[in-house]
Amino acid sequence: MPTETPRKQFQSPKKPKQSPNNVKSQSSTPSIHLSPQTPQLPLRRSSRRSLQLFTSKTVDEMLDLSTPRKALEALDGIGKCSGNNRKGSSVRTPRTLKCKFNEEDREIPEMGKVGEGNGEVSPEALESKKRKNGLSEEGSVKMGKSPKCKLNEDLGKLGEGNGDVVSPEKRKKGLRNEESVKTRKSLRCKLSEEEMEIPDLGKLGDATFFPVSPQALESKKRKKGGEKRAVTRAMATRSLKKVNKEEKKGRKRVYYKKVVYDGGEFEVGDDVYVKRREDASSDDEVPEMEECRVCFKVGRGVMIECDDCLGGFHLKCLTPPLKEVPDGDWVCGFCQARKLGKDVEFPKPPEGKKRVRTLREKLLASDLWAARIESLWKEVDGSYWFRGRWYIIPEETASGRQPHNLKRELYRTNDFADIEMESIIRQCDVMSPKEYAKANDQGDDVFLCEYEYDIQWHSFKRLAEIDNDEDGECANGDEDWNSCKEDDSDTDEDMEYEEENERNAHARPSTTHQLAANSRKGRFFGIRKVGTKMIPEHVRCHKQTELERAKATLLLATLPKSLPCRNKEMEEITTFVKGAICDDQCLGRCLYIHGVPGTGKTMSVLAVMRNIKSEVDAGSIRPYCFVEVNGLKLAAPENIYTVIYEALTGHRVSWKKALQLLNERFSDGKKIAKGDDRPCILLIDELDLLVTRNQSVLYNILDWPTKPHSKLIVIGIANTMDLPEKLLPRISSRMGIQRLCFGPYNYQQLQEIISSRLKGIDAFEKQAVEFASRKVAAISGDARRALEICRRAAEIADYNMKNQISSVNSSTVKDVVTMADVDAAIQEMFQAPHVQVMKSCSKLSKIFLTAMVYELYKTGMGETTFEKLAMTCSCLCTSNGEAFPGWDTLLKVGCKLGECRIILCEAGDRHRVQKLQLNFPSDDVAFALKDSKDLPWLAKYL
Amino acid sequence: MGREKEKEKPSEKALNLLRSRLSDPNFIFRPLSDSPDSNYSKLKFIISTSVTEACNNSILLLGPHGSGKVAVLELVLSDLLQQYPEAISVIRLNGLLHSDDNCALKEIARQLCMEHQLLFSKVASFDDNSQFMIAMLRECGLAHKTIIFVLDEFDFFAQGKQRLLYSLLDAMQSVNSQAVVIGVSCRLDVDQLLEKRVRSRFSHRKLLFLSPSKEDTERFMEHILSLPMDSSLPHNYAAEFNGRLKKILSDERFKELIDTYLSFNFTIGHLVRFLFQAVSYMDLNAGFLSLGNLKTALSSNQRQLKLESIRDCSVLELYMMVCMKRLEVKEQTSYNFYSVMTEYKSIHDSFQTSDYYAANVCLRAFEHLLQCQLISFIDNKGHNQSVEFRPVKLLISSAELHQGLKSYQQCPAILLKLMDR
Repeated sequence: MPTETPRKQFQSPKKPKQSPNNVKSQSSTPSIHLSPQTPQLPLRRSSRRSLQLFTSKTVDEMLDLSTPRKALEALDGIGKCSGNNRKGSSVRTPRTLKCKFNEEDREIPEMGKVGEGNGEVSPEALESKKRKNGLSEEGSVKMGKSPKCKLNEDLGKLGEGNGDVVSPEKRKKGLRNEESVKTRKSLRCKLSEEEMEIPDLGKLGDATFFPVSPQALESKKRKKGGEKRAVTRAMATRSLKKVNKEEKKGRKRVYYKKVVYDGGEFEVGDDVYVKRREDASSDDEVPEMEECRVCFKVGRGVMIECDDCLGGFHLKCLTPPLKEVPDGDWVCGFCQARKLGKDVEFPKPPEGKKRVRTLREKLLASDLWAARIESLWKEVDGSYWFRGRWYIIPEETASGRQPHNLKRELYRTNDFADIEMESIIRQCDVMSPKEYAKANDQGDDVFLCEYEYDIQWHSFKRLAEIDNDEDGECANGDEDWNSCKEDDSDTDEDMEYEEENERNAHARPSTTHQLAANSRKGRFFGIRKVGTKMIPEHVRCHKQTELERAKATLLLATLPKSLPCRNKEMEEITTFVKGAICDDQCLGRCLYIHGVPGTGKTMSVLAVMRNIKSEVDAGSIRPYCFVEVNGLKLAAPENIYTVIYEALTGHRVSWKKALQLLNERFSDGKKIAKGDDRPCILLIDELDLLVTRNQSVLYNILDWPTKPHSKLIVIGIANTMDLPEKLLPRISSRMGIQRLCFGPYNYQQLQEIISSRLKGIDAFEKQAVEFASRKVAAISGDARRALEICRRAAEIADYNMKNQISSVNSSTVKDVVTMADVDAAIQEMFQAPHVQVMKSCSKLSKIFLTAMVYELYKTGMGETTFEKLAMTCSCLCTSNGEAFPGWDTLLKVGCKLGECRIILCEAGDRHRVQKLQLNFPSDDVAFALKDSKDLPWLAKYL
Repeated sequence: MGREKEKEKPSEKALNLLRSRLSDPNFIFRPLSDSPDSNYSKLKFIISTSVTEACNNSILLLGPHGSGKVAVLELVLSDLLQQYPEAISVIRLNGLLHSDDNCALKEIARQLCMEHQLLFSKVASFDDNSQFMIAMLRECGLAHKTIIFVLDEFDFFAQGKQRLLYSLLDAMQSVNSQAVVIGVSCRLDVDQLLEKRVRSRFSHRKLLFLSPSKEDTERFMEHILSLPMDSSLPHNYAAEFNGRLKKILSDERFKELIDTYLSFNFTIGHLVRFLFQAVSYMDLNAGFLSLGNLKTALSSNQRQLKLESIRDCSVLELYMMVCMKRLEVKEQTSYNFYSVMTEYKSIHDSFQTSDYYAANVCLRAFEHLLQCQLISFIDNKGHNQSVEFRPVKLLISSAELHQGLKSYQQCPAILLKLMDR
């Protein structure tokens, strides 16, 4: 049923106001876990009762510990958190937690003193420590972790949780600014030291901590990856805006990365079962293990799952019993019988015992829901919430269950909801097809998700591989950096706000916008409308043949796992980039890469940058920013300034303004935002397109790296070897120093490239690959060509095979690409088709061409006029008994040939004085026409 | 009267049927498309594999005008649109209209927006549009949708910097998209026009559209011209029509006629136009196609235009052309109105012809010749010069001129003499 989207029926209170940063919080990873463990509670999952139990207990504890808390309050400054409010708080207010922290607050002094020494403790160690605590101290320790969440909260308050730059607001108020910066740093220290919470870190930080040097911070931050990011930047700035002493408290939410709630550990990105109704089935017993469908007992021996009904069976309960789990698909006897049309009844459970449905069964029967946690937070009133992204079962989509749907298939929707944590039942695993294929025995709660379902347009879209790929993480990281810069820059916040809202609007399916799809203001608005109403069957059910797999891997768009044959060059690029980044000055760094098309220039550079990025993520290299520009994709060379500036700051200005700003940044060394001191790597593809008449664009770009403190590294890619020499000397002296040549591939390299792609696919004869690579190496050494030839050859083989299968006798066909196929592909690709056209053209055209050749031989001149040619033609015709058609007809014939560019000719209205010339060598014409059947006499004149 | 009407009906119907057949590319090209060697099945295979196997392709359809490139492509596209509704969106561009990169990208964005019911903005810049296109390629790839770009008159896209082709093909090799670029061109050397980095990204599938063989042509003509026996047409009429057609087709004279026609032009498009003409000449009273109809069609096809325009000239104009021809014989390659006039005068002086006109009358005749394009200016220089001073050139050969004079009824005998001398 299309209308029955989960959200509508969900009964737990929904937040009217959605946090505007939800989009961002997906990409960045909020840090710090909070783990209110409740070891003393029974392990009942997620009922409100349990939470209340938990909280009330903590209240008791809090009361015991009230004194130290007060002391702390004194310390933490007066106005910020109103003490009264806290005291009066009920069970559900944030106080409950804060009070809990107080227990540990007592330790503050010591911890504070420990200072930086402690800071070296690795997160894992802390983790383990925590865990130990959790075990030993039981009740009290659950708060041991909570301080962190508090930290988080303050990060939120202060903004700049992980931004490196002072926001404008801060700059405005100098004093406050200094304070907060320090606070931030101290916060950092605390993050690393796992200090516990102090209500107002700002003040405390001032008192106790000293800023650590930025570099150290930087590296620490990197090392810990996104882990330590509690709050996204947008959130940070936003809440900073609201640092209004009076109402500060009321508006805050605390975001976490991981929450231990009610005995389960929930992390952002986890998938969970969610109760459908609060009343229903919460008291149902949820079996840990599935029961056997035959003996209705749990956990006795190995169970096997039927691929049809998903029922579980003990191996020995089957008839006949199985010794081990068979390979491949297995269908139980009941299902087999049902398929044959028999009436089958599953064995009934023994008297008095009700068959208990597992969560999986409930989910697939839509008695439960599944959702993916996008963010976790604690509300002001102390309840824990998460923002969930619903999964939907095929039956609930508009198109219903489609025949190719798998039993355990779910769709991810673009429907979000804020849900209270207590409606979570437990975790489940929703996997991508790749993972799913590997997950053999990971239990019952495994689901497959390959598509996203748009609840508004009822359409499907494949999930971009980016979501779960390593590459994707890189991309995400990139986004992060960019957004980081965005926020750090000096625009007014209102603008950011707007952007934020816009992005929100984008994420939320709303219908009331009037933004055009192709203008950037709309951010391609409405593009999510694109989707299929039904997932086409051929995509899912088709089993690829070897040839088809070969074709797929040979596609240019398929990124190879490794880049063979370019190790040396890649190493060189790596040393260049690394040297440039690590060098403090990085003066005049410019690398010019040249080589013919299709030799892997851009790909190698990008691969190097990926490697370096992963090193940056690992923390061994300082962060940098990377800007990629393609000269051919710019509307005009000057636009490169706009593009670069936009990539660096996220703001779009005219190119003149951009040039001025970039000049300020690179030449004058004015660093406006904090992130600007990162080295910047600029990759310019198709550099030759930037050459203007006075070459000012190239000069500007290549001049920046020579400026001290510019920290700009330029990598230029072009085809011509001598581009620097063609340019003005002042440019070539800046660019031509360091060069790297990508030579054309030789045939062994091409062969290696092709066979590395074809590894594991038995579709090509070995000689066929060699033939293709030799041919391409002899002509251009272009890897794209080689791949395309092989793909085309596979296509031809596939075509022949499919045709022959349809024409019955398929015994002779082998689905292997042979030399003949490759040869056909090469012919098609490299041979101009003019010979064939000449062979098949009309009689008069043949005579015309012959006359051209004859004329050429006679006069030795390539160019002739129509008058002369017509004379020759009429001579030829009359002497060979052919009727001469008349000048006008002949003119038309000539023009036709001119259209096909077999001859080059002037416009037809020149008539008698029209100039004509053969476009192909006369030998080709002779070859084509020598043995024409209808005009055998032509051979005489050729 | 009523009976007559009824009588006329079958032949009129037949005429309508034949005409509608001849203007329907679907009917013309369908029978040529079943064999596995035909371009139709090859093209269909390539496009449908890129739909089902999610890959990118770029294809060139080459062949002279009238060989049915676009017709076959449309046939394939309509078939595939039926087979995979929803999964295909076709973007059509024409090089004659959209050879400018900026305008082409805008048009692509517009059609993509139309296709997916998105709002289109006219003011979006080149960058916006190209980014939009790439985003759409990606999204459509994720949604298992194939975008087919049909670039008619492909050679016009291969001019200048070729930004459009580059960004299109580069997106296709880097984004996980499903797209097919189909270039249609009559220039056989069009792939040589591509810049080398564009060429490297092009996947170089080429389909060559050639003229059909002679046997095919005959079969094809029979297929088109014979009436269906099981239609609303009276049975005897159709039978007789087909019988006569068969007779014509097997007639030696007909074969000769078709040979002369085909020796001049060999493509299906032209043949269809020729048949249309022939069918239109069909005598409705007789109700049957005759050899005469085909003959008239052929002769109307092979008109000697220059000779005909000589027929329309005045005697004075003939004089002027003969003068020019004489000048050329004297190896005076460049001449203008005044040099022609001197020659004219000298002829008049030596032969005392009766046709002597004043200079301004001659100038009018001269201008008329220019309008008929029997003569033309040698170059485009000197627009500001007056007509009589600009050098001109005779556009008709002496052989044609001679022929024209002979067929001219009131041609003075002296002119023919002058031609020979």
